[in-house]
Amino acid sequence: MIRLYILLRVFVLLVGMTGVALAGEYEDALPKFTTGNYSDTEEAIGAVAASRHPLSLALIEALQDGRLLAGMGQVFIRDAAGDLLNAETGQPHGATSRDLKPIRVNNRIRRAIEAALGGLTLLSTNAGTRMEAARAVFRSRDAAALPTLAHAIAQESDPTVRQALQQARAAILVGKADASPGDRLEAVETLRVRGDQDALALLSNLPADSVPELTESARKAADGIRSRLAFWNVLQNVWYGVSLGSVLLLAAIGLAITFGTMGVINMAHGEMVMLGAYTTFVVQELIRTYVPGLFEISLFIALPLAFLIAGAVGIFIERTIIRFLYGRPLETLLATWGLSLILQQGVRTIFGPTNREVSTPVWMSGALDIGAMSLTYNRIAIVVFAFSVFAILLLVLRYTSLGLYMRAVTQNRRMAGSMGIRTNRIDALAFGLGSGVAGIAGVALSQIDNVSPNLGQGYIIDSFMVVVFGGVGNLWGTLVGSMTLGIANKLLEPYAGAVLGKIALLIAIILFIQRRPRGLFALRGRAVEA
Amino acid sequence: MALTAAALVSSATAQAAKAEETIKVGVLHSLSGTMAISETTLKDVMLMLVAEQNKKGGLLGKKLEAVVVDPASNWPLFAEKARELISQHKVSAVFGAWTSVSRKSVLPVFKELNSILFYPVQYEGEESERNVFYTGAAPNQQAIPAVDYLAKEEKVERWVLAGTDYVYPRTTNKILEAYLKSKGVKTEDIMISYTPFGHSDWQTIVADIKKFGSAGKKTAVVSTINGDANVPFYKELANQGVKATDIPVVAFSVGEEELAGIDTKPLVGHLAAWNYFQSVETPENKAFIEKWKDFTKNAKRVTNDPMEAHVVGFNMWVKAVEKAGTTDPDKVIDTIIGVQVPNLTGGVSEMLPNHHITKPVLIGEIKDDGQFDTVWQTDGLVPGEAWSKHLEGSKDLIADWKTLKCGNYNTVTKKCGA
Amino acid sequence: MKTRFFFDRQTVLVLSFLTAAAVLVPAMNGLAAPGSALHLPDHIVPLLGKYLCFALLALSVDLIWGFCGILSLGHGAFFALGGYAMGMYLMRQIGPRGVYSDPILPDFMVFLNWKDLPWFWQGFDWFPFAALMVLLVPGCLAFVFGWFAFRSRVTGVYFSIITQAMTFALMLAFFRNDMGLGGNNGLTDFKEILGFPVQAGSTRIALFVLSVAALAGGYLLCRWVVGTKFGKVLVAVRDAESRTRFLGYRVEHYKLAVFTLSAMLAGVAGALYVPQVGIINPSEFAPASSIEVVIWVAVGGRGTLVGAILGAMVVNAGKTWFTGALPEFWLFALGGLFVFVTLFMPNGILGAAGDLWERSSQKLRAARSPKPLTHAAE
Repeated sequence: MIRLYILLRVFVLLVGMTGVALAGEYEDALPKFTTGNYSDTEEAIGAVAASRHPLSLALIEALQDGRLLAGMGQVFIRDAAGDLLNAETGQPHGATSRDLKPIRVNNRIRRAIEAALGGLTLLSTNAGTRMEAARAVFRSRDAAALPTLAHAIAQESDPTVRQALQQARAAILVGKADASPGDRLEAVETLRVRGDQDALALLSNLPADSVPELTESARKAADGIRSRLAFWNVLQNVWYGVSLGSVLLLAAIGLAITFGTMGVINMAHGEMVMLGAYTTFVVQELIRTYVPGLFEISLFIALPLAFLIAGAVGIFIERTIIRFLYGRPLETLLATWGLSLILQQGVRTIFGPTNREVSTPVWMSGALDIGAMSLTYNRIAIVVFAFSVFAILLLVLRYTSLGLYMRAVTQNRRMAGSMGIRTNRIDALAFGLGSGVAGIAGVALSQIDNVSPNLGQGYIIDSFMVVVFGGVGNLWGTLVGSMTLGIANKLLEPYAGAVLGKIALLIAIILFIQRRPRGLFALRGRAVEA
Repeated sequence: MALTAAALVSSATAQAAKAEETIKVGVLHSLSGTMAISETTLKDVMLMLVAEQNKKGGLLGKKLEAVVVDPASNWPLFAEKARELISQHKVSAVFGAWTSVSRKSVLPVFKELNSILFYPVQYEGEESERNVFYTGAAPNQQAIPAVDYLAKEEKVERWVLAGTDYVYPRTTNKILEAYLKSKGVKTEDIMISYTPFGHSDWQTIVADIKKFGSAGKKTAVVSTINGDANVPFYKELANQGVKATDIPVVAFSVGEEELAGIDTKPLVGHLAAWNYFQSVETPENKAFIEKWKDFTKNAKRVTNDPMEAHVVGFNMWVKAVEKAGTTDPDKVIDTIIGVQVPNLTGGVSEMLPNHHITKPVLIGEIKDDGQFDTVWQTDGLVPGEAWSKHLEGSKDLIADWKTLKCGNYNTVTKKCGA
Repeated sequence: MKTRFFFDRQTVLVLSFLTAAAVLVPAMNGLAAPGSALHLPDHIVPLLGKYLCFALLALSVDLIWGFCGILSLGHGAFFALGGYAMGMYLMRQIGPRGVYSDPILPDFMVFLNWKDLPWFWQGFDWFPFAALMVLLVPGCLAFVFGWFAFRSRVTGVYFSIITQAMTFALMLAFFRNDMGLGGNNGLTDFKEILGFPVQAGSTRIALFVLSVAALAGGYLLCRWVVGTKFGKVLVAVRDAESRTRFLGYRVEHYKLAVFTLSAMLAGVAGALYVPQVGIINPSEFAPASSIEVVIWVAVGGRGTLVGAILGAMVVNAGKTWFTGALPEFWLFALGGLFVFVTLFMPNGILGAAGDLWERSSQKLRAARSPKPLTHAAE
């Protein structure tokens, strides 16, 4: 009885001491934040996370956001309201932050923070946070998180989070030499089901001393994942091709309209795209300054403006220059080239020669994972947008009177004139429409490319190729042309490299034009020959 | 043509008559074309430096005058404009050029007409000419320390060397490859990828990098991607979710000026290696930034590394001219070796006998405000090496214009240029 | 008859002007004392030489565009190929004087660890071979390209665009360092040509005189070509291609012949250009530079030969002056010039001058003088 009592006392004492020691660990770790040395900071994070102190989470989150300050040998947390809390006690601290400096963070520290937060937030009440935590643990493969993981898996109700947690557990177990073989085999199976590049890496980098059975099943699983990835890889390349194709489609479709109706290659077309991109920049700047709340929809505000501005410039060009050059399409080419120089230098004078920043709204950031394929939202947005523009133009050409007149002028200018269509007016409107569409293409391109005076130059040759390849006067030709070129380019790129792939494609176009001198979808008719 | 010639002659003689009154400094930076994006700023900084010097009373009792021309990113035009600056405008020194090809294009002109060029951009090395002073970084002042940092601090074991297909990335990657292999990195852990100028569709390459980086070893990208192609590259990185904590990218051609065109929030933690950052906190730098913002009347204008190189180069030239008491190129070329001027990062840079200068190496991480946070820097200044020890063809070469009077002295055969 | 006389007078004018240049420039540069009003500074000589090369290039474009209606927007490619052939010769002449002192390999190959000279560099150390290549490489490319294009009757804007594709593809290819032609840095730092140092004043003068001779020769050749029956067929093709074909002429043969000839002329221009500017790099293949050549022709006056020479000189002299005098605004001036010329001077400077001349002399001579250019079918 007495013995038992003594044992109990010792136990309690031990527990108490450990408790004290743990609490001390947190306090002991704090001064390490003040040394300004990354290695110390990293150690301190590990210690703070392991201490399970009530303030651990708040402290590490503060560090992540740059709200953890050090000075006078002490550490302070700045809370959301801007008040300073003493990191040791959690009590408010009256001092001002003047002498305090945020604790500096580099990549190594960021990784340590992520791992620590992963361990600390596995049991969070928010499913999204738990998901993030599971991913962080998957990456860090920190064996210390195993007990918490087991606990989290047991009480998890959301199936997707549960799966992520299990995968995180598998990632730790599979390479852990002292785990039971049964657990490790199970882990291999879990990773096989996950089946992505990370799982493959884990499975093909097993420690050399693993049991043969495990090595064998891991090898099989890895082979399975490889063939699966090879299949998805082709799809991924096709997707890249579609997304490149839709960029080409956007850039070329306006050109197809002006070229189609007037037979004029507008060398300043790329500059219309550039004007659209700069419109986006100006709209975003204004919104940032005056109505930050609208930022998420800034692109939708920029779209009509870009259309109007580029369209107006287009009509202006048509009325002041191109109209005097009827019947001399090659001279128009030269004049518009001169114009493109003026527009470029104009933009350079007004906005400066350097790139301008156009931000991506939050809804366009990130990626959608389908199988082993990753589709980024901004590319999806551009593909959808390009096809919508295409569809709208098709409808305009087919069902509006402007479209009817434009088609008539395209097919036979003189006849259309004789039927009472004011071909001049149609030319001006077609030119405005083509330029306007180039303008909205600029809004889209501002999301993936430089907003600089040279923006348009990069697209003009490609646009030519698309239009000529697809055939003039037919929007479907432009669609097929841009998609073919985009996909062919992206399928060639992994084998031939970016440059040789492009050269091969250019030669293919040159040869193709020999076979079909008027492109894929040539207009038939007498007037076209003239 | 006779008319043209006559016009040119008369303008040349008119210029010659004026040349006596001021000391002229040539500014040879593209103000239009593809390189305007980077070079225009350097023209502005030269104008500011000249104005500053004039406020201080000029040089040798004369006013300085900057002669600005536009070589329009056209390489033969660089040579033509250099010739115009030297023989028509009679400039005492030229500050200019950015790309390697523009420097190569003007080299014969400077040699022939015996003038001085200050070249402010980091470059591939493998050159030392009597008439050129290289105030930007040589590969050993940028690339190798950056790789060392990644290997030590980030424990990187797998390397992607991505660059634009021209001589600077090719040479830098050759040097880095040799260096990494000498450090025990295996061939299969190095991926080299080249893209054309202005490459804008990075989907495939970024996906490849991701794949290469998920092989279980810590991976980093060493980027020598040039100017324009960087914005779409970084945008694609951000979109495909390549974070600095997973695969850090260290760039040698991305500075504050380039970042001004990108939303840097998704890029926080990616790195750059330079010899100067705007965020460096020294009194010299603070004063410089203030002057720069005043001069450009734009509080948002940023400063960058090649600008600092021009500041250092210009001050060295001024000091050498004062020391020599003349702007005569031969005298200045001799006196400038050993000249020391404070740089903007708190050190004192010195012109070395190989016509390169000593510089600190700084590694910075991109912050969300488009600036860099210096996470590491060399203890002292690193002397620039004209010839790389890591390349087969140049390991025995040294440059010394003081005692040996030779830019490519072979230490084995003990001969100049052999 | 009158046309012949008009042209003859032009020929005499051009030739005497070029002869004057060939005599005066060396004299003013070499004999007149520096500082005197007559002295031509050293840096002007290669500049004028460069204009002459551009004039020859413009001439080659005018031959096909002005007289046969073929608008090539890729003539810069032939120019650059000729330049590269010459550049390769000049590179081989450097010999062991490169920075690495390799007796055979050019510097850029040494530091990229090339072990042997690639096959296509063989023979370029021998000048006659290089000179032959200056003609053959552009000529063969033009022949193959033209054979495909003209046979399948690719015309008008379509032809223009595939020539752009051609020069663009070549530019991408030459930018690659793996091509073995120096990549973006191109070929530079030449030492001597045929044993004469490239930098020397006398070599410069010699190159200049050679350029004058090449231009004069090119002009006479073009003049002769357009004067023959062959030339008349070309004009017929320009004005009504289908009709010419129906009359039994093999239009594609005529086009192919003149296109190849023109490419060779462009190659010669490139070969003379390289030693005078001291560098050849893939940016010469840039689509924009080819467009610029066409603009020189348009500015001078299309289909007149003299106009091409005049246009190349005027635009390039303007460029030289503007990039120095108005560095920030010269693109406005250049762009504005192109718009102005196409709008108000459809026949270029020569056409406008001709109109003026005609108007003033109309009262004197009641006769109607023919316009040098009819409204051409594109």
